[in-house]
Amino acid sequence: MTSKPSSRQSTQRSSLGGEFFVPAALALITLVYLISAIQLGPPMKGGNMTASFFPIATAILMLIALACAMVHALRGKAKAPEEEAAANAESSDDAPRRRQYVGLSLGAIGVVVLTAGYLLAFDLIGYFVATFVYVLLLTGLFSGGFREKWLTKLIAAIVITVAGYLLFEVVFQVRLPTLWSQ
Amino acid sequence: MDSISGLLGGFAALANPETLLYMIGGFLIGTFFGAVPGLTSVLAIALLLPLTYSLDVTTALVACASIFMAGMCSGSITATTINIPGAPSSMMTALEGYPMQQRGEGAKALGHAALGSMIGGSLGALLLMVMAPLAADVALLIRTPGKFSLIAFALIVIIISQRGSITKGMIATLFGVMIATIGIDVVQPLARFTFGTSVLVQGIDMMPLIIGTFAISELLIQADSRSSRTVDPSMIQAAKVRRRDFIPPLSEVREIGVMRYLKSAVIGYAVGILPGAGGSMAAFVSYAESMRSSKHPERYGKGNPEGIAAAECANNSMCGGAFVPMLTFGIPGDPTTAIVLGVLVINGLQPGPQFMTQQLDLIAPMFASLFVSALILIPLTLYLLGPYFLKIVSIRRDVLYSSIAIVALVGSYVATYSTFQMALALVFGVLAYFLRKQKYPTVCLLLGFVLGPSLEEYCRRALSINDGNPSIFFTSPDSLFFIALTVVFFYFMVIRKPKDNSLGTPPAS
Repeated sequence: MTSKPSSRQSTQRSSLGGEFFVPAALALITLVYLISAIQLGPPMKGGNMTASFFPIATAILMLIALACAMVHALRGKAKAPEEEAAANAESSDDAPRRRQYVGLSLGAIGVVVLTAGYLLAFDLIGYFVATFVYVLLLTGLFSGGFREKWLTKLIAAIVITVAGYLLFEVVFQVRLPTLWSQ
Repeated sequence: MDSISGLLGGFAALANPETLLYMIGGFLIGTFFGAVPGLTSVLAIALLLPLTYSLDVTTALVACASIFMAGMCSGSITATTINIPGAPSSMMTALEGYPMQQRGEGAKALGHAALGSMIGGSLGALLLMVMAPLAADVALLIRTPGKFSLIAFALIVIIISQRGSITKGMIATLFGVMIATIGIDVVQPLARFTFGTSVLVQGIDMMPLIIGTFAISELLIQADSRSSRTVDPSMIQAAKVRRRDFIPPLSEVREIGVMRYLKSAVIGYAVGILPGAGGSMAAFVSYAESMRSSKHPERYGKGNPEGIAAAECANNSMCGGAFVPMLTFGIPGDPTTAIVLGVLVINGLQPGPQFMTQQLDLIAPMFASLFVSALILIPLTLYLLGPYFLKIVSIRRDVLYSSIAIVALVGSYVATYSTFQMALALVFGVLAYFLRKQKYPTVCLLLGFVLGPSLEEYCRRALSINDGNPSIFFTSPDSLFFIALTVVFFYFMVIRKPKDNSLGTPPAS
């Protein structure tokens, strides 16, 4: 009995988070941008626009639009709690899968972490090893683990790695980093 | 005469085996990406962009054109057979195609879609060849203040065409403009927003932005899905089609009528010229007009080939129209032409009024590719691959998205041979993921990024001509024309919104 309301509350909070916190985060970025633009110098000099005019104008317009979006998000949430509850009920089946951290789903976090690791490994250990491991892990992530068809995933990882090498290095003559070229 | 022989030279260029191979390969890739739900032809062209560093510019443009054309028509495959439009431009096709599929006329519906696409695509390409040189002549008359007002018009129309989310469209566009200001100033040699790092002095390259926005963000979104295949295999069994049924009966083609095909093609082409409209808008407007002018409007929504013909004819004709502002003014109105602009810029080419005359030998094969793709490859592909379409698009998601990840990331590396570009692609991918989750149009982000620098440059140049007095924008006739045009569009699209009808709200681009 107690689990349903609490899950509803948490989903409502995360839903508000997206609609409100995305413009809020953008507003923070825009503020940093605006301060940097102001530091470039006065927007007008001798009757002419300087390098800071356009960024300052853009940032001000952006902040106005973001303020509107945030107000709209807050008003929307106040108006439609029932719709939200209905949406929560609908999505309750997918609850474990769609659990979010900092607005990112578990699957998306997995892709981001694997890709960041791939970028670090790419220069360090070369195309072949880095790509093979990355593709193998991605296939696992996109198919829900390695318990099923692991041999197919292994073969797919080898084929994609070799095909990528042939496409870039052989067909398009792009020099890719290799372990032996480090 | 020079332009006619130049355009004919474009067709001759397609006889080159390598160019022909890229056109056919591009068409097949575009068909696949357009047909698989979740993938789009924009993603296909985005993935092709890094490869254009190693490709001849003409070959790259030919491939882009065939992907564009294929992506527009192939969305009808899954729209008709399993009621899931492969691309947004095929939503109207699903309204008529799927009921036909349920009646056992799926193959015929696909035949009508292919015929409409063939006619619309060919006419759009022909109109492009005829109209683009004329538009280029008009573009020569536009001076600096007018160029500013024209770009401002394009950006405003792109924003207001985001029905129901104008604020989000504005935020995404302005964010794109902000990203574009990073690096050396457009007028004076001053580095902006580098935050003390040397890697940002050159500015943000278009490639990581495109790869991140369209490829990486798609990976992040798809990572949530549970299904193991792109299309449920059980649906394939239920949607079997036979090759001989693809040819639409002459009686039905006559009933649709030549005028409907022509009108739909013209509507699609005109919508294509408008910034931000895209294939889904072209299909919607043409479908609505076809229903309005039909002798039997009551048959619409129940499997009427007229609706399929009108929608598919318009969205393929749109391809030709979309190239006009990009080639003559350097203003892309949709993501595909923005990426094609990127291909040109990578190769040191800048579209503008004289581009058509000075670089016709480079551009003509692209026009020819659009025409040949529509006239020959659309029907040929349907006939040869039609029965296997659903099997082809139902592939393992893990293999598909892993492959896309490798092409996208290694492709980002190609530009500068540095992992910094790959990291930027990842950063933009995460950013676009958040924006897409909250229904911010990422197309606006890209177009803001592409058009922002020109907007700033022309604004500053125009003001410096008039000692900083903004009255120049209202006294210059060309600028005044575009300001008036902006007001007219704003009035009709925002103040006096199109009333809801039985079709609902027009689909956003």
